[in-house]
Amino acid sequence: MNSHVADLLGAWALDVCGDDEAATVEAHLGQCDECASEAARLRAATGWLGVDRVIAPPLTLRRSVLDAARARRAPVAIRTLVETYSVQAALLHEALGKLDQPGWRRHDRRHGDVAGVIRHLTDNDAILAADLGLPRVPPARNGTGSVHEAWRLQSEILLRGLGSSAGADLDRVVTLAGKKGRQPGSLRDALVQRAFETWTHLEDVRGVAVPPSPERVRRIVALAIGLLPGALAAQGLLWPGTFRLHLTGLGSGEWSFPLGGPEANGGAEVTMEALDFTHLVANRRAGAEVPVAIEGDNHVALQVLRIASTLGCD
Amino acid sequence: MPADETDVRLHERLIAGDDDALAEAYDAWSSLVFSVALRITCDHTAAEDVTQEVFVHLWERPHLFDPTRGSLRTWLCVTTRGRSLDWVRRTQTRSKYQMAAAAIHPGQADLDETVVWQIEVKAVRAAVQALPEAQRDAIMLAFYHHRTYREVAQELQIPEGTAKSRLRSGLATLATRLAAEGVIDG
Repeated sequence: MNSHVADLLGAWALDVCGDDEAATVEAHLGQCDECASEAARLRAATGWLGVDRVIAPPLTLRRSVLDAARARRAPVAIRTLVETYSVQAALLHEALGKLDQPGWRRHDRRHGDVAGVIRHLTDNDAILAADLGLPRVPPARNGTGSVHEAWRLQSEILLRGLGSSAGADLDRVVTLAGKKGRQPGSLRDALVQRAFETWTHLEDVRGVAVPPSPERVRRIVALAIGLLPGALAAQGLLWPGTFRLHLTGLGSGEWSFPLGGPEANGGAEVTMEALDFTHLVANRRAGAEVPVAIEGDNHVALQVLRIASTLGCD
Repeated sequence: MPADETDVRLHERLIAGDDDALAEAYDAWSSLVFSVALRITCDHTAAEDVTQEVFVHLWERPHLFDPTRGSLRTWLCVTTRGRSLDWVRRTQTRSKYQMAAAAIHPGQADLDETVVWQIEVKAVRAAVQALPEAQRDAIMLAFYHHRTYREVAQELQIPEGTAKSRLRSGLATLATRLAAEGVIDG
């Protein structure tokens, strides 16, 4: 220990010594474990000094901080999106590992039973794999073990392929899954959709709600909002004005898009829970079951929500 | 000091450009950052601005935080303090009296205190109160008024060596108490 430097450690931790002295201290810390350890300890104590009470910032600050950050340095979204999908796939793998035979045979109104749900998920994962030039796993035979194995293998092929494409073009056009037939979309949307669909079926397998993170809820909402104008136009549904969606609770926020009609005035505003909206998009809750508050044109609002419920993958 | 695993992982994700990592850091530490900023600036809008600056700074230059040299929480608090003091210096509207009052009295009483950090906050208050007066005065001058140790020596009319030693031993006592309470690593 250098006694000149050691004497300065308190002033350094509080950032109240001269620049030259700070540089001397820092150079010494790189060579002396004893001083480095004391310095880290004193600085940790300094970190708590201003905290004699803790007050939460206003809720609106979160969004403005994250938006400002993203505007200053664009996120490398592929890693985030792949990781989100990876987490959902790991949770589903774990849930399937715990499923007993009656669990696999549990009725599902869309796909017959839970095994049918996983076969369907594997098929949709394979659509993206094929678009990315990755192998497709052959359809599983009847045993539930092989259904689980085939899905896991396809999912791992997708994850490995995506993991080695850190510089991938997220705007590249691929095929999105959808019950109304396959449609083109960006790789960004496809990755959100894979995570979203895996999460939806995780809830099917577990038979209970699995709350996602607020950021993921917002991505799912953004995906649905991105798809909605095209889905409405495909049905010939055009109205004047703007559709505004005000979501509350986990993943809260506001989204809007023009309804495609020539006039700017009019439209509708819907307020509802963000999680309810994601369940509506997944077609796991019917529009009539979800509490919503509507302002403006009631008919337009209900039509938009009806189309939103067709955006899911099954 | 071994680096905290959670911090190391978060740091890697921030460097990789994973903005969910920033959202997680914000959710974990924004209350602390905001509180430190509010305590020093005594201004709600300024505390919001400082909080935003600190997290945007972390996102823009994540390599400036080195998890092997201290926790993310410490880095955020130290950065927040620096930015808050910059704000105070820029505005130049605060009289010496107001600054002294801010250092001694809690902030505005009409704000809701979050319950999450109650145990730590209580431990910090008690540990600061328990410091010998001479050490506490020196630390408060340095921390809230950003007096250099030489200025601390002048204001308290003590030799510079004594000022340095009061800062060091005062922080060391604080660190020992906070470690005993489990607030920081021993």
